[in-house]
Amino acid sequence: MELVVALGLILFKVALLIAILLLLPLPLTWLERKIAGHIQQRMGPMRVGWHGLLQPVADGVKLLTKEDHIPAEADRFLFKLAPILALAPPFVVFVAIPFGESVSVLGTKITLYVSNMNVGLLFVFAVIGIEVYGVIFGGWAANSKYAVLGSLRTCAQMISYEIPMGFAVIGVVMLAQSMSLLDIVRAQANVWNIVYQPVGFFVFFVAGLAEAQRIPFDLAEAEGDLGAGFHTEYSGIRFAFFMVSEYAIMLLTSVLAVILFFGGWNGVLVPLPPLLWFVLKVAFFVYVFIWFRFTFPRYRYDQLMAIGWKVLLPLSMANIIITGVAFL
Amino acid sequence: MSRALDRTGIWIGWAFFADLTNALALTFGYMFSRPVTMQYPDKEKWLPYSRYRGHHFLKRDDEGEIKCVACELCARICPCDCIEVIPYEDEKGNRHPAKFEIDMARCLFCGLCEDACPADAIALGQQYEFSSFSSADLVVGRDDLLGKPGKATTGGGVVAARLNTEQDVLVETSEPQGYNWWRNIRRR
Repeated sequence: MELVVALGLILFKVALLIAILLLLPLPLTWLERKIAGHIQQRMGPMRVGWHGLLQPVADGVKLLTKEDHIPAEADRFLFKLAPILALAPPFVVFVAIPFGESVSVLGTKITLYVSNMNVGLLFVFAVIGIEVYGVIFGGWAANSKYAVLGSLRTCAQMISYEIPMGFAVIGVVMLAQSMSLLDIVRAQANVWNIVYQPVGFFVFFVAGLAEAQRIPFDLAEAEGDLGAGFHTEYSGIRFAFFMVSEYAIMLLTSVLAVILFFGGWNGVLVPLPPLLWFVLKVAFFVYVFIWFRFTFPRYRYDQLMAIGWKVLLPLSMANIIITGVAFL
Repeated sequence: MSRALDRTGIWIGWAFFADLTNALALTFGYMFSRPVTMQYPDKEKWLPYSRYRGHHFLKRDDEGEIKCVACELCARICPCDCIEVIPYEDEKGNRHPAKFEIDMARCLFCGLCEDACPADAIALGQQYEFSSFSSADLVVGRDDLLGKPGKATTGGGVVAARLNTEQDVLVETSEPQGYNWWRNIRRR
């Protein structure tokens, strides 16, 4: 009986996570367009619903009813596989993400995470690496020069930025003496990691921007010079998959930044519920992502490589050495 | 010495991304500035200036008689040949247009007809909402031209407006002059 309850609980949590992750892009697209509009002294969507609130629903209906086009010369199997490969990993990663300690409902303690892995951080980085395949397959299978160029760029960008990102979090792991995300948050109960690891956070955040393929590192899409990059040939629901994946990764990067460097659900000064603290911090980082998008232009390809290898990598290495020396 | 200081300042700024921070502060400031959008068909409407050249209209004199003497000077000067006038003589022996048609689809709104008119009978008014699905509807006759709105008296502003395609456009002015649209554009 207990096994059934535990299993049911896990299934319920997974279903809830999937539902939230699938639905969250709707308000996020609205927010992104609104913020974009106001930064550019426009109003953003205004006509569908109150202040355009129903605009994402209209867009969703439009995407679902559009023709799902596959180019004649495309590799059909890879073309169909790529959106799924891009969509699944960000969803899988959230299994390892803790959103809080636990709450008691009807006398039973319910933990606010699906599983507490002792190598949670490693799992996150390993699974999120698979997401690159979606982008590369998508670009390759479409058999279009823009898509191939976009996915080639992405390939190089992902590999060069995953390395400093991995090094940047090592400092956090050294401080917490654990790779479990739960332990990392618990270790920040008094002082957040950002105090000890400002350089680590900087490297992590810049690399995270590149991983999420957001401006100023959105060379994979590069509307201006590549059409739409790797998803040039995608339309309809498959294109929506790529969009949802992009928002999920943006969310994931924000969540990771909060967990690793900003104390997770540990509050400061104002006593709010832990989950609310967590959500507020994540919302702030999501806002920063959007804010960056409408402030900075895109980096050139050689600049991107120079930042990755000549700035971020040495910085993250130096961060590890200094953390190690100070720790000894 | 001060130049060297300036240089170090620039380098320190560069190391701490002073330029990027400036950009972020600027966009953040803009986010809370008032949008310059004119929500045209839904909520707001532009009032033309008094010199605006919109849809033509024909004037009447004090007795209510049409001012036009059908001299056809406007038709002659029109660069795109869009005015057609056919005169007639009434019982008092005055010349008036029996037919006065302007093809709005061809008109380029130069206002030369207004300049050429010796009787001050034709002018370009403030109406600018006369798009149509059929170009045949854009040929406007004498009686329609007599009913068109004249020149704007105030103008150059945005007023609250509701678009009613059945009748004319209803203009609901909250401030008589409209507000100054340019006031809301930030300059540094």
